[in-house]
Amino acid sequence: MDVNQYLEIFLDETKEHLQNLNTQILELESDPEGEDTVNEIFRAAHSLKGMAGTMGYKRMQNLTHDMENVFSEVRNGNIKVQPKLIDVLFQCLDALEEYTDNIQNNADEGTNDNEALIKQLNDILNGENGGTPEPAGDASAAAAASEPVGGDKWNDIALDESQISVIKEAQNQGKKVYGLNVVVQENCILKAARAFLVFKAVEEMAEIIVSMPSAQDVEDEKFDRDFTLMLLSDAELDKIIEAAESVSEIEKATGALIMLENNPSYKKAEEEKTEAEAAVEEKSVPAESAAASSEPQAEAAVAPAQAAPAKQDTKKAASKPVVNRTVRVDIEKLDSLMNLVSELIIAKNSLVSVSSQEQTNTNSAFNEQIEYLEQVTTNLHESVMKVRMVPIESVVNKFPRMIRDLSKKLDKKLELYMSGEETELDRTVVDEIGDPLMHLLRNSADHGIESAEVRAQRGKPSVGSIFLDAYQDGNNVVIEVRDDGNGIDTEAVKEKAIERGSITPEQAANMTDKEIVNLLFLPSFSTAKKVTDVSGRGVGLDVVKSKIESLSGEVEVKTKLGEGSTWTIRLPLTLAIIQALMVVVGDEKYAISLGSIQTLEDIVPSDVKLVQNKEVIHLRGQVIPLIRLNEVLDIESKRAADENLVVVIVKKGDKMAGLVIDELIGQQEIVIKSLGKYIKQCKFISGATILGDGEIALILDANALI
Amino acid sequence: MELGKSTVQELLVEEGKAAGETIQYIVIRLGEEQYGIDIRSIDNIVRMQSITRIPKMPAFLKGVINMRGEVIPVISMRLKMDLEDDVITKATRIIVLKLEQEGNVGILVDEVKEVVSLSVNEIEKITYNAKEEKSSLINAVGKHNGELISLFDLSVISLEGN
Repeated sequence: MDVNQYLEIFLDETKEHLQNLNTQILELESDPEGEDTVNEIFRAAHSLKGMAGTMGYKRMQNLTHDMENVFSEVRNGNIKVQPKLIDVLFQCLDALEEYTDNIQNNADEGTNDNEALIKQLNDILNGENGGTPEPAGDASAAAAASEPVGGDKWNDIALDESQISVIKEAQNQGKKVYGLNVVVQENCILKAARAFLVFKAVEEMAEIIVSMPSAQDVEDEKFDRDFTLMLLSDAELDKIIEAAESVSEIEKATGALIMLENNPSYKKAEEEKTEAEAAVEEKSVPAESAAASSEPQAEAAVAPAQAAPAKQDTKKAASKPVVNRTVRVDIEKLDSLMNLVSELIIAKNSLVSVSSQEQTNTNSAFNEQIEYLEQVTTNLHESVMKVRMVPIESVVNKFPRMIRDLSKKLDKKLELYMSGEETELDRTVVDEIGDPLMHLLRNSADHGIESAEVRAQRGKPSVGSIFLDAYQDGNNVVIEVRDDGNGIDTEAVKEKAIERGSITPEQAANMTDKEIVNLLFLPSFSTAKKVTDVSGRGVGLDVVKSKIESLSGEVEVKTKLGEGSTWTIRLPLTLAIIQALMVVVGDEKYAISLGSIQTLEDIVPSDVKLVQNKEVIHLRGQVIPLIRLNEVLDIESKRAADENLVVVIVKKGDKMAGLVIDELIGQQEIVIKSLGKYIKQCKFISGATILGDGEIALILDANALI
Repeated sequence: MELGKSTVQELLVEEGKAAGETIQYIVIRLGEEQYGIDIRSIDNIVRMQSITRIPKMPAFLKGVINMRGEVIPVISMRLKMDLEDDVITKATRIIVLKLEQEGNVGILVDEVKEVVSLSVNEIEKITYNAKEEKSSLINAVGKHNGELISLFDLSVISLEGN
């Protein structure tokens, strides 16, 4: 099957499911009894397994399958949720994420079998409750996979009830049960063919009950270098081994008489029958079995695939997935739709300007239609914008998990409170905002929140709180990362800055706290006394700042030593079309985003006062600095000095400024066009727009002017 | 970058020599002199239109124009070559070049005269020493009907974006 066309959908959905699992498992950790949560987890794991299977990602399927088994037991109440279990599950999710990344990057899931994890899962399943922690490192798993395999793998063959009864029957008839492991030579080309010959040779003397991997998989060459069989026979074991080894290109065959009691799945089945309730608590595991299962095994994962109890299927069918009334659309298609809408708006604007020029004999019907067109294009624009908007949920959802991990890693008690996850932003912005937010949260966890002792001394609650709040503010979306930790030590920052030569001691003496805090955004600046792997390598805040600025946003920090810090990120709602106020300065037209405009004022020249040689005005109790745009833009103003000033009051965060212009044109919907790569640096021009008459007006970036 | 571009041009010329090909140049006038621009790097030639000035930019960067909804920067070749500022006449044209890195960029010229085909034998590469900055816009001279046409090295334009 050509699965490439489904790859994108697969990746999207896998990520969704993984996110869902992360969230739900976190929930499960805090509420181990939550039935809905377990069901939800089970569903997600099951879908993941199905999807991975369909796409042919065997390793991923194996891992999810084992996870599903564990969830199924949890759901049936056979396994209790324990911290150890949660940890293993999270490791599994990480492993799955790794597979997903591999698939995304190389269209291949990679070769990591994650046996250690699978073993832990199976241990949990087998009632050990993950008692023997295994180094879950990838290295050990990889090493295990490359070793020539063998050993008494037959003990790991999972048996279902019918197979067990067949074996028992045979034993009663005096037949012997053998386990046979066959290893093919490393350079063997036709593995499947050799395996087939082995099957044939063995079948002459014995009955093959189970094969691992399944006979079908062996036939399809879906095995590494060895396969394991469980046989029923009257013949001597040596003869069977001899027969198997007589096939060419078989490296060796090993075998042994099987004691059914050593087989975990047999044991489990027995336990279920005899002591259904106590099954989980079972602690005494036969030593042999434990030893067998703790050996690295390349294909242990395949075993439970056959053991999935049939009763699960009926339950799965009962839990119907919620149907989503959504369509997945390629973002590029939306981009081109957006561009077309932009063109339409420009065309509409030219029609408007044509109609207003021909005022002499205005046709009322024409005007009506123009107005109607205006309405439609505005609505169309809004709809397209809305389509492109996605809740920031998809990004912030991964943070609770991250904070949990950090909490363990840093040995600090941390709690993340989030609000406003439903706040929507343009898709392109949402995709980019994840990393900066993660930096800030890590920063808060590592540098912000104090160690438990310090918190106790300061009389703060032992659990450090980190808040992530998102909300819409006019044409902006504000995301705040707040913590109740130490705050920023401005003195320490100052010292560090002087030490690094970023500022001179004299400069430092004159700096306000705010300016000092802003030093943190300089490249390679880190005040962490210790370099941890969480943060402190001096990359981060400058990256955060440049990233957010590249999204036409800004980041600010407020801090109080000993009480905590607040990082505020302000992002524009949309990046393509905005409502703007058109103004005239000299003989040039400029656009100012309506989002940053507070009010328009008419000021008598005598009201302009000088403070520290800078022009300011008093407005409703506030002192607002004036910026004469004609000076900034190097144009002659057309207004006489004694004329009243037209002032546009703009606001950025809590800062305000009055922009002095010559004339107002009015409000207009404008399409933001880039000035192109050729014109690189223009500080206070954020772009250009095409007016109705085809002329270009520049867009003033009020934020850069303040 | 500069090296890259001129190497490309050299390669093209070499290629042309081998095949005995001709390269088409648009001949433009700046003041009294004639210059040639490789036709393959030209996107469009438009009449003079109103140019929107961008504040705080070097003088040679005249501003931006709107070409079919695209915002395109316009450079004065005269100012770039230390000649007097452009005098806009009916003949003034904006030649829109497609540059690899920077996208479309327009240059202001006094007049567009004709298209000539120069066989590679008629093109002579010139090398300057670094001091002669003014001439470094030119990297070859073409001979056509007894006249000399200086051929622009477009990589210089793309280099000095700011």
